[in-house]
Amino acid sequence: MHSRATPYLLVAPLILFVGVFTYVPILTSLDLSFREWDFLSPDRPWVGLENYRLVMSSQEFWNSVRVTALFAAISVPLRLCLALGIASYLVREALPQRLLRGALFLPSVTSTVAIAVVFSWLFATDYGMINAALAALGLPRLHWLQDPGLALWVIIIVNTWKQLGYDIVIYIAGLQAIPQDLYDAAAVDGGRRGHVFRRVTVPLVMPTTYFLLMISVIEAFQVFTVVDVMTRGGPAGATDMLVNLLYRVGFTLFDIGTGSAIAVLLFVLLTALALIKSRVLGRRVHYEA
Amino acid sequence: MRHIFKTTALTGLLACAAVSAQAATTVEFWHSFKGASGEVLDGIIAEFEAANPGIDIEASYIGNYNDIVAKLQAAIPARRAPDAVILEVTRYGLFADRGVLAELDGYLEADPLRDDLFGFAREVGVYQGKTWIVPFNSSTPVLYVNKAVFAEAGMEEIPDLGDFDAILAAAQTVQQSLGDDGISGIAAPGQFARWGLIMANDSDLIDSVSGDILIDAPETVEAYEWMASLVSGHGVASVDGVTEEDNGRDAFLAGKVGMMMNSTGNFRSAKTALGEDLAVLPMPCNRACSVPIGGAGIGILSSAEAEVQQAAWRFISYAAGAESNAKWFAGTGYMPINRNTAAQPVAAAALEQEPGITVAIGQLDVARGRPRPPVVTWMRASEYDVWQAMALGQREVAPALEDFAARTRAEAARTN
Repeated sequence: MHSRATPYLLVAPLILFVGVFTYVPILTSLDLSFREWDFLSPDRPWVGLENYRLVMSSQEFWNSVRVTALFAAISVPLRLCLALGIASYLVREALPQRLLRGALFLPSVTSTVAIAVVFSWLFATDYGMINAALAALGLPRLHWLQDPGLALWVIIIVNTWKQLGYDIVIYIAGLQAIPQDLYDAAAVDGGRRGHVFRRVTVPLVMPTTYFLLMISVIEAFQVFTVVDVMTRGGPAGATDMLVNLLYRVGFTLFDIGTGSAIAVLLFVLLTALALIKSRVLGRRVHYEA
Repeated sequence: MRHIFKTTALTGLLACAAVSAQAATTVEFWHSFKGASGEVLDGIIAEFEAANPGIDIEASYIGNYNDIVAKLQAAIPARRAPDAVILEVTRYGLFADRGVLAELDGYLEADPLRDDLFGFAREVGVYQGKTWIVPFNSSTPVLYVNKAVFAEAGMEEIPDLGDFDAILAAAQTVQQSLGDDGISGIAAPGQFARWGLIMANDSDLIDSVSGDILIDAPETVEAYEWMASLVSGHGVASVDGVTEEDNGRDAFLAGKVGMMMNSTGNFRSAKTALGEDLAVLPMPCNRACSVPIGGAGIGILSSAEAEVQQAAWRFISYAAGAESNAKWFAGTGYMPINRNTAAQPVAAAALEQEPGITVAIGQLDVARGRPRPPVVTWMRASEYDVWQAMALGQREVAPALEDFAARTRAEAARTN
């Protein structure tokens, strides 16, 4: 009854969906990166590598690369360390842990825009609750969203708060997969808690860490909403991530060719990072205890 | 039998034709009004539809002016653009230049509305000698004062606030007296007010006649230096209003700021928030008395079918008519654009009972339209970052503006 075409027919809808909504836009973006277009003109003249030359010679682009890399370098390890630490506590199946898991996961399913708006109010200089708390303690008010030295930290805090719940849930799944025998054996050998964590938990949860690392680095390079709502890349470019620059150039300044060139460069950068990670870290990941 | 069949078929065809003749023409209309303004607009649309049963206005709130521009960009190549759209008065030139908007002169010439519109209202819709939009919500910036805050700071009578020094002195008085209570002297000026203050210093960002870039002109630099000093030099304006312009307005409405310069379109919300404590004054005349005309107008997309364009024009004409304009003026505080508006009972009542609402009209003698070539859209989008850097003390004003002027000239050469 089953013809050879059946499997292809079964996967065809998905392939069609991914093709239309993922690969066609990627290829269109690649094509547009070699053209000059403002979304409105009927003509899209071919300009070769001019858009790439413009991007590579722009201070704004290199500032965005620096800011995004800094953001990723701080926020990814922070997220993973916090998530592993909290997951190690929440892995136990007791009522408080279950309640906490739900509470910590809540931000992951909350609208990012709503979170960013609320944190904007909290971090407002003159009317924000955080500065009010600092003032109550006799400390000076800080220009959280106006000081270039602080604004990126605020974005890191908000993004970590938003994403942490997801990382914790994934880590809990990873921790639950570690056989209890290994902990029992370590206990028989007199292993202390910290030692067992370092020598048993961390290596055996490595596949989860590797997966989260991949995901969180990609997310870090694609962060947009929190920045767009809270700082729009400011002050003075201190939080101007690559995707914010891409959006601003393409959709605010009407230069879709240059915006597409930035998108293509971001794609190349992320692919290169994924390859490096798989070469460097992939060998250290063991999928069996 | 054959006869019966023929009669039935003919009756059916006639019925179809009648239904098709009565089918409503739908005009998809994108706008930027919500809250109280949105309700007034909904009322005008409902009255228009009642008066024109063959036309259905499908109105959608899209966001602010920037959001509309961004969404139009995505909608036009996707062939999902609306039939009529609200466009800000300095940003429609780009769309006109690229052939996105339909020319309105033919409609306007044949419509009595042409003679009813004030001169400024006809002028703001013209780019390169042709009419592309008809203003709907016209405004100028005005100076809003919270009398209660001033009185608490020891200024029972509002002092003369006619120039930059006087405004700064009043802001400092408020800040010194009430700063510890979380009350600021003045809200950091938003982009429309910044443009107004530059014009009050006898300059402009781009010359509306010659198109020359005046961003680094000495008077423009001086105006920006004064504006930036309100935040980073004298500390009389909150930094919160620099990174998010609406914060300054919201703080004023909450009674936490002594003064703000903002569009007359904020009159209704300010009156509701502050009641009798609200005073509305003209913008300062520092080196000159001059204010920009702001707001937006309705344009028709050239992609709309001829019949839909006709229907859209009827709506535009109705919305700009004296009766609708009077309701809009009284309900929002935006300026009348029609010579006959003031004679309408609802407008006459507003003029009599709410003197603050007339300040913007009083400024019309010194009001002028702003430039609208394609580069203005780019310039306005880019100005926010430059202002932020200057106001927060991260860049010196003069070099920041020189750099911005150079970039704007390069962009003008590319896009105009």
